[in-house]
Amino acid sequence: MDSEFSGNREKRFKITGRHVLYFLFALPAIAYVIGLSIFPAITVVYQSFLVAGKFSLYNYSVLPSYGLYASIENTLIVSVGALLIQLMLALAIAMVMMKPFAGSKIFSSIVIIPFGISTIVSAFIFSLIFTNVGGFANGVLVALGFKPVIWFSSSISDLGVVMFSDFWKNTPLVALILYGGLSSVSPTLYEAASVDGAGALSRFTHITLPAIAPLISIALLVRGVSEFNIFALPLVLIGYHPLILNTLIYENYSTLATRPISYAAATVLLIIIMAYSIFVLKIGGAKQYAR
Amino acid sequence: MPGKTNPLIYIVVVLLALLFFYPFWVLFLIAFVPTRFTFGLIYPLQFPLEITLSNIVNSFYQVDLLGPLIRSLEVAFIVGGLALLLGIPAGYGIAKLTTRISNRIIAFLFIINMMPGLVIAIPISLYFYSAHLENTVLGVALAQELVVLPLTVFIIMGGFRSLPRDLENQARVDGAPLSSTFARILLPLVRVPILIAFILSWMTSWDEFTYAFIVAPIVPTDSTFPVALYNYVTRDLPLQSATFALVATIPVIILVVVFQKYLKGQYLSGGLIG
Repeated sequence: MDSEFSGNREKRFKITGRHVLYFLFALPAIAYVIGLSIFPAITVVYQSFLVAGKFSLYNYSVLPSYGLYASIENTLIVSVGALLIQLMLALAIAMVMMKPFAGSKIFSSIVIIPFGISTIVSAFIFSLIFTNVGGFANGVLVALGFKPVIWFSSSISDLGVVMFSDFWKNTPLVALILYGGLSSVSPTLYEAASVDGAGALSRFTHITLPAIAPLISIALLVRGVSEFNIFALPLVLIGYHPLILNTLIYENYSTLATRPISYAAATVLLIIIMAYSIFVLKIGGAKQYAR
Repeated sequence: MPGKTNPLIYIVVVLLALLFFYPFWVLFLIAFVPTRFTFGLIYPLQFPLEITLSNIVNSFYQVDLLGPLIRSLEVAFIVGGLALLLGIPAGYGIAKLTTRISNRIIAFLFIINMMPGLVIAIPISLYFYSAHLENTVLGVALAQELVVLPLTVFIIMGGFRSLPRDLENQARVDGAPLSSTFARILLPLVRVPILIAFILSWMTSWDEFTYAFIVAPIVPTDSTFPVALYNYVTRDLPLQSATFALVATIPVIILVVVFQKYLKGQYLSGGLIG
């Protein structure tokens, strides 16, 4: 499949009537996406600077008192933690799936099915697993002879539960992306390296990692952006304490009086996501667009 | 790599499989085991000593499960249908442009799609409010369409691009007009990408929470199943929620298992993989 996407059909190009026609075919879809995303984004940013119809920075000046800094910090903690957990699990899955073993079909079904699970279903199940008193996770711990854990005992542990619970639905996608990269490495490369005396670790750092580095950056982009957007999971698992940016936005949006505050917080989130995307594209994925 | 399988692999495989299977197991226990073995105990039993259907049957009488599920079905089919309606011509048109331009368009669509859902959903719900689309099936579908459209266009474009160029030229030489070439020759050849795009759009809509929550909020009789489920979870109705979660999850499990071979990284991450 890959080769079809790499641009070797490039030749001198003249815009003809036919090209305009082709572009017109694409126009409705493009217009839909622009209309329903850029305009709302502009509306939010514009509204965030308005107080009683006049330009003002008031909404931003009061944001810190609504918990802005803590919510940014919490959002970053959850996002980074969840990304690391998912990348590590996904790498393990992808590497295991490269090897032949009995039951590999069933294994790949088990780890891929959660991809289709609704976030809210996942949030519900993990709310049953992690309850402070009893609950299924503590049930397992007690059965194995450990002490039960109070999962929601501090902001950090609350955020930890959210970042862990996110693995279930989202690891499969990362695993599929990484698996695509791993399966493109020629097995003869590993054989040659083995013959030359390279150990498992050095084969991993010298062949596997370089092969999947661009895919890791793609996974970081795709998943990282959605990670900043997690909403249902924290809403169900921890509610509004501790706040993350999305719950801060929603909490203020749901009361009419504080709606302008939510616009300002939404603008902050927009800026963070744009900065993150540009950062990842610059360090990793930019060459994808250079063609 | 040739040779025998390292036994260490099996340890990793079993641990990972347990980790990913366990949440399903919890859902199964809550739904099918009498509550005295689950919520009745401080530490719920991890294995079913007794199986019952009464949790599920009672839940069907206690809360409206069918309404939200039917609305979710309607929304998902509108989202999938509209995705094809907009995505097939777009995929075709973009595939016909030079690689350079089409890659830019696809990348643009995806970058646009990185806008935070909540940030977009809030103003959309205000627009929809003035268009009387709030709390409607169509409103939720139109909002969710935004999420699925870039991936749909990308997948269908890939299908058209992989067709031999001569195909269309030959048909044109034979004198067939563009519309009939398109419908009779090209479309059947890209049916697999079209099907994948439809299934992915359908599933995304079926699972989607943020847009549905903002556009058709809270009122459980008006909402799709994820929003209704959220409502039952926050009202502390775990049995009803588990029944709901189970019923809503079964179709997706079937879809994923059936279409597993088409779920590939380069499809799902869209234009970002070259």
